[in-house]
Amino acid sequence: MKAAAFSYTRPSSVAEAVSLLRSRAGEARVLAGGQSLVPMLGMRIMRPALLVDVNELELELGRIDVDGDDTVVGALVRYAEIETDPEIAERLPLLAHVVLRIGDRQVRNRGTIGGALAQSDPTGEMALASLALDATLVLRDADGERDVPAREFFVGSYHNVLEPDELLVAVRFPRRPGRFAFFERGRKHNDFALVSIAAVADVTPAQDGGAPVLRNVRIALGGVHDRPVLAEAAAAALEGRPCDAAAIAAAGELALEAIDPPDDIRGSAEYRRHLVPVHVRRVLQDLARGDDA
Amino acid sequence: MDDHVLVRVTVNDHDHEERVPARLHAADFLRSTLGLTGTHVGCEQGACGMCTVLVDGRAVKSCLMLAAQLDGRVVETVESLAEDDRLNPLQAAFKEAHALQCGFCTPGFLMTTTALARSGARDLSREQIREEISGVLCRCTGYENIVTAVERHLQESVPASAEADGA
Repeated sequence: MKAAAFSYTRPSSVAEAVSLLRSRAGEARVLAGGQSLVPMLGMRIMRPALLVDVNELELELGRIDVDGDDTVVGALVRYAEIETDPEIAERLPLLAHVVLRIGDRQVRNRGTIGGALAQSDPTGEMALASLALDATLVLRDADGERDVPAREFFVGSYHNVLEPDELLVAVRFPRRPGRFAFFERGRKHNDFALVSIAAVADVTPAQDGGAPVLRNVRIALGGVHDRPVLAEAAAAALEGRPCDAAAIAAAGELALEAIDPPDDIRGSAEYRRHLVPVHVRRVLQDLARGDDA
Repeated sequence: MDDHVLVRVTVNDHDHEERVPARLHAADFLRSTLGLTGTHVGCEQGACGMCTVLVDGRAVKSCLMLAAQLDGRVVETVESLAEDDRLNPLQAAFKEAHALQCGFCTPGFLMTTTALARSGARDLSREQIREEISGVLCRCTGYENIVTAVERHLQESVPASAEADGA
């Protein structure tokens, strides 16, 4: 578990970091919280020639900013800060809720939101929440910035659209949805998720014995595809309609259209296909009923 | 940009300056370079928590940091706890509650709990304590006595007034 040799540098500005990434594109890796990268170096799954440590860039990358309806979370914001930040609690309660499912106290003290998204683990909670909350990722290279919606960022297992000379600098979350619901099942405490589900919507409460009506529905699924995915057909079927038992059951089945689950050590594809409709239904019941989480 | 780096770090109130390989992780730096072998190394992949130390007051797994990243930081290891030859109150609580058998994981629990107590957490439920220490694995004790030691220590050492600021 000893990493192969590499060089190490700690730039003092984002401009310097992206310039380094440009000049050493393909052989450099960005080191943020290191909670996934450092073990991968130890196992020699990765053997970069150069590590660009961005941990000194707190001023540029470590802020949580409110910009009108948007909340902009710097890539270097650590999980522990998301856990306790009052703006996040108020504006992005789903994010504050799911962050507790990541790692443990020590991991949350170091790991960063940007690192998690760049890692693009198909079971990752930050990726799941970014999809559910319709976040936009801000990527910078030596020439400038581009915005990529979360739903276009993840393209495969541990694979995303970041170019080798680009740095993820921030995550922009739009106005908070009215309500969220979340479920995650792993084999054991804090293990990678077998399946995770985050759903958000604006909910008009039931009137005169009818069902609540959901709008702006988004349902994100983790652990059941090579990347985190949105269950778009399921969400569309619920949009603006009374969310009764029949609609919820139909949405649960429609969620299967979005997934192509893996067979792995944590569970079979068949088992995951069984879990998804069951738990999508339960999450939607929670969402319609109204208690967050 | 070199495969060796200069590290200036304060460990347990002592200043050190060492030139080390960039690939050296912080746990090996503490143990092999500085000779502080109280920090144990188990899995070297962030799963077991044996190597937990405090960096700028926060509990972290030192196998998941590079020695290079300790530059300019303040580190506390288990060697900082005992007062001369006397156990500190946390260590005494572990002893009294029989919270260790082989002792290999104990430095990890002690440092994790040191940070927890400083955060002002006092009246945590046993379930909350289990969550807070879940980053450290013990293969001997079944955890009950560890939770008891942590519970007693928090109640005895954390002032009630600190709780408002706590975790």
